[in-house]
Amino acid sequence: MKLRRAGDRREFEAELIGSEGGRIRVLVDGREIAAGFEQLPDGGALLAAGPRRVRVFAARRNSSIVVAVGPNTFEFALVEDAARRHSRGLAAPNITAPMPGKVLKVLVKAGDRVEPAEPLVVIEAMKMETAIAAESPAIVNRVRVSEGQIVDHGDVLIELSPVPDSLAPESDSPQS
Amino acid sequence: MKPREIKKLLIANRGEIALRIIRSARVLGIRTVAVYSDSDARSVHVAAADEAISIGPAEAAKSYLSIDAIIAAARQSGADAIHPGYGFLSERPEFARAAGEAGIIFVGPRPEVMAALGDKVAARRIAIGAGVPVVPGIETGAIAEAREFGARAGYPLLVKAAGGGGGRGMRGVESAAHLEGAIEAASREAHAAFGDGRVFIEKYLARPRHVEVQILGDEHGRVVAMGERECSVQRRHQKIIEESPAPGVSQSACAAMADAALKLAGACGYTNAGTVEFLIDGENFYFLEVNARLQVEHPITEIRFGCDLVAEQLRIAAGEHVSEPRPPRGSALECRVYAEDAEQGFRPAAGSVLDLKAPAGPGVRFDTHLARGTEIGTHYDGLLGKLICWGGNREEARRRALGALDELMILGITNTAGFLRDVIASEPFQRADLSTRFVDEFFARWHPDDRTLDAALIAAVLATTGAFGIKRDGERAGAIDAARRGAPRSPWAELRGFELWRPR
Repeated sequence: MKLRRAGDRREFEAELIGSEGGRIRVLVDGREIAAGFEQLPDGGALLAAGPRRVRVFAARRNSSIVVAVGPNTFEFALVEDAARRHSRGLAAPNITAPMPGKVLKVLVKAGDRVEPAEPLVVIEAMKMETAIAAESPAIVNRVRVSEGQIVDHGDVLIELSPVPDSLAPESDSPQS
Repeated sequence: MKPREIKKLLIANRGEIALRIIRSARVLGIRTVAVYSDSDARSVHVAAADEAISIGPAEAAKSYLSIDAIIAAARQSGADAIHPGYGFLSERPEFARAAGEAGIIFVGPRPEVMAALGDKVAARRIAIGAGVPVVPGIETGAIAEAREFGARAGYPLLVKAAGGGGGRGMRGVESAAHLEGAIEAASREAHAAFGDGRVFIEKYLARPRHVEVQILGDEHGRVVAMGERECSVQRRHQKIIEESPAPGVSQSACAAMADAALKLAGACGYTNAGTVEFLIDGENFYFLEVNARLQVEHPITEIRFGCDLVAEQLRIAAGEHVSEPRPPRGSALECRVYAEDAEQGFRPAAGSVLDLKAPAGPGVRFDTHLARGTEIGTHYDGLLGKLICWGGNREEARRRALGALDELMILGITNTAGFLRDVIASEPFQRADLSTRFVDEFFARWHPDDRTLDAALIAAVLATTGAFGIKRDGERAGAIDAARRGAPRSPWAELRGFELWRPR
């Protein structure tokens, strides 16, 4: 996802690309950072990257995210323009169900190349159909549901993987 | 001997200083009355006092700066004394006079002394009369005399407002060509700020240090000096880090400044707490001004001297004799945390406190009115808290401050704590290469380091997954849930199965 810091013209691309056993991998502007991440009972978390351990606190407020890293304060706005996301960043490794419901249609199969905003799955919930779309260009890795299946909030519907570099469009340069 | 007794004290202020004063009054067995504007009705100082009275709307001019409203509140509550704190009405002689006329003790100097010292030109004259050195200058902004002075003393010069301080109505002058324009601009600004367009001119000191002396005087003619405070680290001519003793200033120079402060206080019959400010330029020191009130940075004197200056003020106001100061111990350092963006020229910030971790431990004091939920608007000064650290020597105090700043966390309001930490950790600060230009010289383009920014970006990404604010039992906190419902849909907001905060 794209973040803009309050008072800073730069935009930062930051994505969570993995999490296992209290360790996370995050892509920050193309650099992969591996860190230990441990939630603390006071609502904060301990972030450990290399020899450095810092206490971090964060919360969403309206459309922004406020963060404290030790005594330092930050405020980020989510830049919502998903279509402008660069192909090297994968917005979500998994597509999950936003609400409990029934899978009406599965529109893709393993190996398909998908584009941002392309509908992948249609879910019926509370008598309404909701199309679940891709957030960024990706390759469908595995389809985990079938039509007619009942899913719960948060269930993984489709697993995605990043588009290999050779398939990435050449002209997809971010505008400033 | 107690010629009169203070039984109930009204605190004509807000924020951390109101709370600070309430605490001392409680020790002396004095009941307290808080006053508050509409926007402060639920603030910490209001809850802490024995009584609280509403004095008007959020606008300071109609509440905390309204002499009528505050005197009326004092009468209504039956308060027999008023403590003005700092800022707001604290240095307004007409406020002290109005209190006196209402038969209420004003905790501060007599109004005529405040009036004389509040006029910077008159104060300068008092200093000269007392044999205290002043910066070479002239007492007028008249252009002919200014030109003559510039030719004689040499440029650069500094044009200053006679009617008030705080950096308003102040202009540096590089050369004779800029003199007239600078005088006019300073005069206009001074008129707008203080309703008094008078200016005077001094020689501009290139790299001075700001050092001040704490004084306490009683009604029986005794004045004591309680050490100095070094306050050179400033932004916008306002202090952000203060320490005592002043590093690198000789004991003889400090003794000479204390002596000058006592002479000046004696010359004007000063009573109660006050501060005599000096500029140090090389081997010389010069009188700058007197702050006829309690200073923001008074705690560093308190922890070095093991005293309670507010309690002293209240005892003196009740007619008691000033206490004999104890010998000072070690070194103390204060840093002021403001709701400001240090990366954007210290632009004021606002917001509400979503979470707060205050530092603690031996030798650590954090004076604040913040609590979770406190709203910081733009009506008042953005001071969030003062961190005061003691050490056996300067280095120990400095290290303690670093550790304490690392413990401090204010979520929800952009503030200067991270900036202060980097300043205190810096090599120029460690070797005490101090001057009033310190921030411009060493920290003009400050930003948090890249690794801190990376950590912040990681935290932001994780915040969208709901990794923060999860209760121990895994249940989502209500506030977070509500925030998530209101937030634009993000792929991460939906990752419920993604329990990265809990090793599997």
